[in-house]
Amino acid sequence: MKFIHYLEKISGVSVYGLSSLLIFGSFFLVMLIWAIRADKGMMEELRQLPLDKIKGAGKVPVILLVLVLMSSGAYAAGPPEPSSIDNPFVIVSIIIIIILALAIGLLANVLLGAAQIPSEKPPASASPSEDQKTYAGGLSVTASPRSPWSKSYLFLTATAINGVSDTAFYFISGVILLEVIILLVLLYNVRLVLSIHKKAKAVVAGEAAAASGKPRISWWDRFNKLKPIEEEVNLDLGHDYDGIRELDNRLPPWWLYGFYCSILFACVYLWRYHVSHTAPLSGEEYTISVQKAEIAKAEYLKKAASTVDETTVKQLTGTDELAAGQKIFETTCFACHGKAGEGGVGPNLTDEYWLHGGSIQDVFKTIKYGWPDKGMKSWKDDFSPSQIAQLASYVRSLQGTHPANAKAPQGTVYK
Amino acid sequence: MTDSRLRDAFYSTTINQFPIHPTNKTEHMQIEKFYYDNKTVKWFGYAVMFWGIVGMLAGLWAAIAMYYPAMNLGIPATTFGRMRPVHTNAVIFAFVGNGIFMGVYYSLQRLCKARMFSDVLSKIHFWGWQLIIVAGAITLWAGKTSGKEYAELEWPLDIAIAAIWIVFGINLFGTIIKRRESHIYVAIWFYIATWVTVAMLHIVNSIELPVSMWKSYPVYAGVQDALVQWWYGHNAVAFFLTTPYLGLMYYFLPKAADRPIYSYRLSIIHFWALIFIYIWAGPHHLLYTALPDWAQSLGVVFSVMLIAPSWGGMLNGLFTLRGAWDKVKEEPVLKFLVVAITCYGMATLEGPLLSLKSVNTISHFTDWTIAHVHIGALGWNGFLTFGVLYWLVPRMWNTSLYSKKLAGTHFWIGTIGIVLYAIPLYWAGFTQSMMWKSFTEEGQLKFQFLETVTHIIPMYVTRSIGGALYLTGAVLMVYNLFKTIRKGSFVANEAAEAAPIPAKIATHGRTYWHRWIERRPMQMLVFSLIAVAIGGMIELIPTFLVKSNIPTITSVKPYTPLELHGRDIYIREGCYLCHSQMVRPFRDEVARYGEYSKAGEFVYDHPFQWGSKRTGPDLAREGGKYPDSWHYNHMMDPSSMSPGSIMPSYGWLFDNELDTGRTEAMIRAMRKLGVPYPDGYAMEQANKDLAVQEKSIRASLQGDKIHTGSNKEIVALIAYLQRLGKDIKSAPKEQTVMKDADGSKVMGN
Repeated sequence: MKFIHYLEKISGVSVYGLSSLLIFGSFFLVMLIWAIRADKGMMEELRQLPLDKIKGAGKVPVILLVLVLMSSGAYAAGPPEPSSIDNPFVIVSIIIIIILALAIGLLANVLLGAAQIPSEKPPASASPSEDQKTYAGGLSVTASPRSPWSKSYLFLTATAINGVSDTAFYFISGVILLEVIILLVLLYNVRLVLSIHKKAKAVVAGEAAAASGKPRISWWDRFNKLKPIEEEVNLDLGHDYDGIRELDNRLPPWWLYGFYCSILFACVYLWRYHVSHTAPLSGEEYTISVQKAEIAKAEYLKKAASTVDETTVKQLTGTDELAAGQKIFETTCFACHGKAGEGGVGPNLTDEYWLHGGSIQDVFKTIKYGWPDKGMKSWKDDFSPSQIAQLASYVRSLQGTHPANAKAPQGTVYK
Repeated sequence: MTDSRLRDAFYSTTINQFPIHPTNKTEHMQIEKFYYDNKTVKWFGYAVMFWGIVGMLAGLWAAIAMYYPAMNLGIPATTFGRMRPVHTNAVIFAFVGNGIFMGVYYSLQRLCKARMFSDVLSKIHFWGWQLIIVAGAITLWAGKTSGKEYAELEWPLDIAIAAIWIVFGINLFGTIIKRRESHIYVAIWFYIATWVTVAMLHIVNSIELPVSMWKSYPVYAGVQDALVQWWYGHNAVAFFLTTPYLGLMYYFLPKAADRPIYSYRLSIIHFWALIFIYIWAGPHHLLYTALPDWAQSLGVVFSVMLIAPSWGGMLNGLFTLRGAWDKVKEEPVLKFLVVAITCYGMATLEGPLLSLKSVNTISHFTDWTIAHVHIGALGWNGFLTFGVLYWLVPRMWNTSLYSKKLAGTHFWIGTIGIVLYAIPLYWAGFTQSMMWKSFTEEGQLKFQFLETVTHIIPMYVTRSIGGALYLTGAVLMVYNLFKTIRKGSFVANEAAEAAPIPAKIATHGRTYWHRWIERRPMQMLVFSLIAVAIGGMIELIPTFLVKSNIPTITSVKPYTPLELHGRDIYIREGCYLCHSQMVRPFRDEVARYGEYSKAGEFVYDHPFQWGSKRTGPDLAREGGKYPDSWHYNHMMDPSSMSPGSIMPSYGWLFDNELDTGRTEAMIRAMRKLGVPYPDGYAMEQANKDLAVQEKSIRASLQGDKIHTGSNKEIVALIAYLQRLGKDIKSAPKEQTVMKDADGSKVMGN
């Protein structure tokens, strides 16, 4: 938790946005892989699923599911706060909710159809009860490990989105989450049912059918151009090094083309940086970033109240402002000037002697630009002008406090 | 079940169809009997275990020092700056080094069907290497260091390393030449490339001028030294931690899994591509530094092109396991190998990504790099070594492993250790970098440097827990292997037989063009050398010869004798391991430290001290930032000046006398290296100048009520720190500003 807290403080990086994108991204990637893996055979089976059988035993679950869909749909259509309807987040969420709901409906249909199969055709496998057990077990197993994941998801988006009230936000996220969980459970069960079905079919069909058909090539094998392990014999090169043999497999195409791509990248990269000069070298990159920052700063300062500098600075007297100055002093300046300004490495700040003038303007200037030759660094990149004004005011408020261990006076009297 | 049946069927067919069985192949020839030397392998194995534990302990020590600076016990030797090189040298050259030799001495004999070339050389190699390690550890603890990362050992040890490396080479090639196997296997290609490249890297990077018995200055300075150093440093990873271990993988993985190598042609392509491309990628350690842009760009593009060749090794490893994944579940050896190969794949993908400038902007100088390195070190090198040990020991002692379960426990503890080590450091690196780069809307830096350090301390704690777990796993392994050894009986000379290479080698089926070179180890050596020399030469030579690569700055002057002493102390204490001296051209760094670093600033820096990690702030512009007394107090007790600092105190610098007797030799050496001190300056004037400067610093300290004895080391160190970055402040603008950049307006005040 503490780590997350750290990250939260960092401006400029919307970690939450990124994380939720990552989680969603990986979720859809898994879906995609699953879809790709669903090869022809499976599609065929899906097509042959007796969907018309739903009317029979599956009525109750269907009604239940429809209820869930309806309810979520209804909630989505009417979020508690009407004012947030035009909020882009709400609109996007509603669209997501509807799409997910549609997906759930579709999958539920498939599952209900598929669920008919084992009961229709009692599997010839020796232990049907065991299959059923795993099936039931699968249901409970899938539900539980998802929950920590969902929690983190909720947490991650929570603070990232503004403009929606807490209740509405949690509600919407809750609905999406529920839908995602349902979807995952459904997906898992579709797979399970299909595998049970396939097993049963394979046993019925027997080995003869398996031998006559072409060996099944999975997407993974196709992707890597892997030859079936049974054909390894034809690839053996006849090498034998202390019993180690070598095969003559082809290079995985993605690897080879990836290699070509990286070479192409190298050529384009060098061309852009060193021939056509369409990409900035490090020094140029620096100039650009500083210019950008200057523009952004100017924009900001235009909007913000006019800032103080050494000509306009006034002694501040408000307790809050002096306290802010004191805080900076006690975390930064004390190292050289002492906790009470009594001096140490640096001069005493409580007496009326000053090396570089004791007016508020002088002190401001000293802090802002420093006196590098004498060991006082410039603090203008560390503290904002208003902070320096607070600090200078605090320093001047130390006049005449006579702390213990005060360093001997340096410089001239300033009155 | 059907799988294994199929496999059995397959094996019977191969044996019937192909004459690859040894008895078939050698039917008509005179069979020779000989013995494999297991004794050297055994000794290297013991050394691996011993140095592994020592090196990891040193690492754990250094990791704890990161959040508990008092861990140094107030002793120079145990301070982070000396402990860290001890750790890196111990795990790289002692643990992995002995691991290489153990694996090579075992596999080479069997792949060549010959005993090692010379038992005497084997013995010299073993004991020589161990002596170097012991001497290395002692000298590093004593602060004798050349100040170049991963090449810290001083010149006498550099020579010893070269000598032992040559002994290893003679033994290696001697064995290959007297082999009874017509062709050399891919593992041996990797051994050959390793040998020749490490020799080249070590010699070129270690060219240094001795000042005294345990002190030398590299002949290269500044940018050139940086380029040579990282050309070496990067390729030490490539050719000491990667290629020899790929060779080991190519032997031990197929042996342990009992599967054929997936693709011979992939071996060929990835081997040559890997060694050719790897050597170019060194400059990616110097992105955004004062290194010329063209060299940086070469580093980037060759790193990206390196992904595929590296992954070729991973794929050939993982695909070799096709049909053996059921064994992986049960066999600890295979488990270790699989995680090792996977970590190799991860690290070699991450490396090129870190070489992209946009990612490097975030990752460099942070703990991200440390996490990345340890995925490779703990995962790839560590786990592969463990796997090989678990495989070798039962075989050489002719018994079975004492406890498979304990090995399984080791596997899990180690894996959790890696995860707990790496993830917090990734987090820490990213967090710190983002904090460094944060500005307020008013354009001020949002965080003081110290804040960014104290923020990530919890991650440092977690990291050390991960490291401790990993070490615990290694201890379990040592116990397990010790028990195994106790119950077995050692086979010192393992009987084997094979026929000599026939005059004419019969070929059957189609043969690859590459088979030609596989029968010619010497040509292999030469071609490998050519492949690895090209990249290095193209990058190094122009940087040395073309003047425009390092524009001079007239105001940059040689260090004064006192500063030079201070610099030697800075190097001795390993300050460069936590403090960089390289302001990169980023808005936040210029705001935090000052004008970004230029190549011309470093022309007298033998060696360069740019550093690779910013545990503490950059020091390139430290001179004049704080008064002398600040540095005095800070070195005495860092937290007095920077509350919450994790820097240890350097109390001994306040007692140690400065050795002014060395001044003459130091100045002479620098003069020989081309630093323009006046004629005869070394003789007397140098120490006179030193005394004057020393007195003035003491006077300035006195002004702040600090009284210090004369000629103390601390004064020299303060002198050096106060010099850093001073020269460029008085430089004419046109010499420090890039021709086409008008950023100077923003920088000046």
